[in-house]
Amino acid sequence: MTQPSTSRAWLAGLARAERGRLGLAVGCGLIAGIASVAQLTLLAWLVASLLVESRTPTTLLPAFALLVALMGLRALAQWGQDALGLAASLRLRRRARGELLDHLTRLGPVGLTAHHSASLAHRVVDQVESLDGYVARFLPQRYLALLMPLVILALVAWLDWLAALFLLLSAPLIPLFMALVGMGAERLNEEQFDAVARLSRHFIDRVRGITTLQLFGRSAAATEEVHAAADDYRRRTLRPLRLAFLSSAVLEFFAAVSIAMVAIYVGFGLLGYVTYGPAEQLTLFSGLLALLLAPEFFQPLRSLAQHYHDRASALGAAEGMVALLDEAPRRGFEPAAPCESPALVELAAVTVSHPERGGVLKALSLSLAAGEILAVSGPSGAGKSTLLQLLAGFLDPEAGDMRRQAGLEVAWMDQRPLLIHGSLADNLRLAAPDADEPALRRALSAAGLGALMSALPEGLETRLGERGVGLSGGQAQRLALARVFLSEARLVLLDEPTESLDVDSEASVIEALMALAAEGRSLVIASHRAAPLACADRRLTLRDGRLEAVNHG
Amino acid sequence: MAEPRGTFATLAPWLRLLGRRRNRLLAGAGLMALALASALGLLALSGWFIAATGLAGIALAAGGAMTLDVYVPGGGIRGFAVTRTAARYAERLYNHDTVLRLLADLRGRMFAVLAGLDGQTLSRRRASDWLNRLTADIDTLDSLFLRLLAPAAVALLAILALAGGLAIGSPAAGLTVGGLLGAAWAWLTLGQARLGLAASRRRVDELERLRGRLIEQLQGLAELEAYGGLAAARRRLEAIEEALYADQRRLGHFAALGTALAGLAVGLGWLSALWLAALAWQAGAVSGPVMVMMPLAVMAMSEALGALPMAFTQFGATLAAAERLNTLDGARRDAGGAASLPAGAPRLVVEDLSLRYPEALTAVFDGFSLTLAPGERLAVHGVSGSGKSSLAALATGQLAPGRGVVSLAGLPIEAIAPEALAEHVACLTQHTELFDDSLAANLRLGAPGADDARLWAVLEIVELGDWAEALPGGLATRVGEGGRRLSGGQARRVALARLLLRDPGLVILDEPFAGLDSALAGRLAPRLDAWLEGRSVLYLVHERAEQTALPGVDRWQSLASEEAKGFVAPSGIFQDGARH
Repeated sequence: MTQPSTSRAWLAGLARAERGRLGLAVGCGLIAGIASVAQLTLLAWLVASLLVESRTPTTLLPAFALLVALMGLRALAQWGQDALGLAASLRLRRRARGELLDHLTRLGPVGLTAHHSASLAHRVVDQVESLDGYVARFLPQRYLALLMPLVILALVAWLDWLAALFLLLSAPLIPLFMALVGMGAERLNEEQFDAVARLSRHFIDRVRGITTLQLFGRSAAATEEVHAAADDYRRRTLRPLRLAFLSSAVLEFFAAVSIAMVAIYVGFGLLGYVTYGPAEQLTLFSGLLALLLAPEFFQPLRSLAQHYHDRASALGAAEGMVALLDEAPRRGFEPAAPCESPALVELAAVTVSHPERGGVLKALSLSLAAGEILAVSGPSGAGKSTLLQLLAGFLDPEAGDMRRQAGLEVAWMDQRPLLIHGSLADNLRLAAPDADEPALRRALSAAGLGALMSALPEGLETRLGERGVGLSGGQAQRLALARVFLSEARLVLLDEPTESLDVDSEASVIEALMALAAEGRSLVIASHRAAPLACADRRLTLRDGRLEAVNHG
Repeated sequence: MAEPRGTFATLAPWLRLLGRRRNRLLAGAGLMALALASALGLLALSGWFIAATGLAGIALAAGGAMTLDVYVPGGGIRGFAVTRTAARYAERLYNHDTVLRLLADLRGRMFAVLAGLDGQTLSRRRASDWLNRLTADIDTLDSLFLRLLAPAAVALLAILALAGGLAIGSPAAGLTVGGLLGAAWAWLTLGQARLGLAASRRRVDELERLRGRLIEQLQGLAELEAYGGLAAARRRLEAIEEALYADQRRLGHFAALGTALAGLAVGLGWLSALWLAALAWQAGAVSGPVMVMMPLAVMAMSEALGALPMAFTQFGATLAAAERLNTLDGARRDAGGAASLPAGAPRLVVEDLSLRYPEALTAVFDGFSLTLAPGERLAVHGVSGSGKSSLAALATGQLAPGRGVVSLAGLPIEAIAPEALAEHVACLTQHTELFDDSLAANLRLGAPGADDARLWAVLEIVELGDWAEALPGGLATRVGEGGRRLSGGQARRVALARLLLRDPGLVILDEPFAGLDSALAGRLAPRLDAWLEGRSVLYLVHERAEQTALPGVDRWQSLASEEAKGFVAPSGIFQDGARH
């Protein structure tokens, strides 16, 4: 994959993949536009036939029938433009989201530590969604706004070149309008965005503290304050809005004035007051058609101006996404070389540093034997988690040699176990998708959750998560342990497994850990608490980026 | 609509809220109508003018005499051109102002509703997600006027006026166009809303589900990767995305259908107007120029109908937002009692209390009792999740007991007026809650009328005087979102200072010295001791420690451990889980 350099280029690349559908959407838009022009031509012809040639309406029925057909065609083409734009937008958004998700997976747990998960979710969900209007509406309209006025201008010029000139007079101004409208929309978007975000923050800040406000008996005063803040925001936003709206008003104004000028020119020409140029050849048909086409000349531009804010918000969103895609993962994806000894993992003089913390592991060496329990202690920030991440393969060493037994499977457990929305069984099957119910029950009792299980009326089907029951910290940890029991992993990595637990819960988690070890699995426990360290076969401490043995005390 | 009554009832409170600004809304809709009328006038008058001049030109060429006043229509055309631009500009600006005013009203109202919720409802919510959704719902609702009500009303009015105008020339044309566009209007508003109702109602939920699932997977990425569960997790995300996009596709197709139908209806409208006008012209009922004017006036209606289908297809989202906010309104707690509290230190009695959160399998309290004598200092200890925060919420009237009695100075807590409770009971919650405002404003929460000297005095007590004096902004310094610009210890001391500004009879202190080093806690303790003199005090602490810095504990009482109870309450505002 080539690294996307700018947000515009990235968006353009995504849009290129959809150019088939977008091209068809433009085609449909052209058909709809041409059908409109044909309708207006027929209308002018009908009027001229009735008024000038004094034909009776009934003799003109075929033309009326043709008009109905043209209207049907236009409706179909318009539907096609919208549907194709939508299809392109859906596919593009799916691809953009897929690209982001792939990249997040590549970055892995280590790469994500720099981000808040809610802000990542905002990028992957909401920012991707905000590309919609840009792809579905703005991109096709950009071509239509260029093509349709040209078609109309050619037709008007054929009817009366002076009338075309009146339209064309405003044409050099069109790029200017576009820039004006664009700048207005962009600035409006940014300012509005900032101001709305500020106001939302104020609101959220007060709502979050609502309990405190209640406790201090200040809810009524705070309600007034919320209202006042929103009103103050209104007053401050209106000034820039006046300017921003002015740019589209300019476009409106020129459109209206051009229509008026064409109408007056044609009217005076028909009366014979204009003796210059082609005016003498004007007929009711050509004059009326020129007038009817004048608003159509500006319509695509007005639509484009309406969709301009879609472009601004898409570009803003793309910037956030490209920033994420530009982050390089801190690991390659080729498997580590196999160990030469019977050890599970061997580290020889490996070095790891974090951008903001400098060197964390410095020429560290470690050999992990099958079946052993290794405890790693050290003050916070010493690199315990980094060592575990290295062992798990979430991170590559910058220097040194790392070897792993071929096909080694790893289980991971940290302070905050993953609980998905779903049943207890769904949560357990994360580790072993095909495990049957007895296996799940065995794992739960091995992890010390047997008693709880039998107390649950819905058993393994009990729903967990936000809308289900809440698990206490200790129970969540033991659920994660049950997953370890279910997995076949021979190496179990535990990062502060008992950090947030009280003494009783900690003891039961450690008991379950011993049962795991009894199955012959290797455990690496990183912790600064005494209890988990006490149960290890080997105790090491991280000091200055290296491992040192801890004297038994 | 299937249940128009239900729909109306759902929107009723919000319509009432709009009704308070009736004049502004009418003026805004009037400007919209003016812009539309100018567009219609411009096209119709231009058509009339050209037909009239064309006919006059032919008559002149044939040697006939013909007088045509070209200056009045010419002026009219220029006038319409200018009014159209001016009216549209004024309309956009004025209605934007209106929408922002409505937004202020909506937020104010929503905040008042939230301020009336009880602790249990508040604590059930996971703060940030829920709040984002709440603001999104409010923003959705503010489209009610600008995107739904006003354009629909203006379009209907324009259809009626147009039909009336056409009927003057040809009653048949008036009736036909009125009927056709009236039917189209009904379809584009009610029909489109009905069509998109289910899918647009789900939209917010599906996005929410996608976001929630993604956050869950990002937080558990280490485990997912270790167990090789990434592909399955991705499939789960894609399934949600697929549902989301199926609905979006449906909605997009509905909206496109509406747009195409709107174009078709206007087209057929002007075509039938032309046909009937031609017949009327043939019968001598209308002049040639008027015949031209009639279809052109109908043509201008595309401007009025064009935006309706898109907005009304999404009507379900507005309805769903209103429903969610109404539900919240329904959860408002009873206004509370009216009894007042006597001055001085009250007795707090908890008797045979049982409390169970709706989601939990087992109770937080089951037959728990406690007595705090006037002026006594009782320390209750228990691990996190054992119910300390719930106890504080019960004693401050934030939470209603399931069974049993919580009484203060002999009065059941639910009989006491909320204002009296707020005045006589002070609580330092475990989680320090500061607002994104100035230091002074945060302190004055404790005593709204306090002068600067009093604020400096309490800052001195918590040893923040020198620090605050050194700040360039002094008391006006902003503390940042949730007090983030302060260190944890500073924030805790500001919260303590805020407490010291008050004069309550009962004080509840949840880990008062959390985050402070022991030397500082040791210096603060005697000052706190002096302030606590003559008040009833309930300390809530994690572990029982005889060597505590807490001043003057008379008695200890234990809450049962978490493990004895199994499930605990989900985290909420009263617990430290809401800190993110």
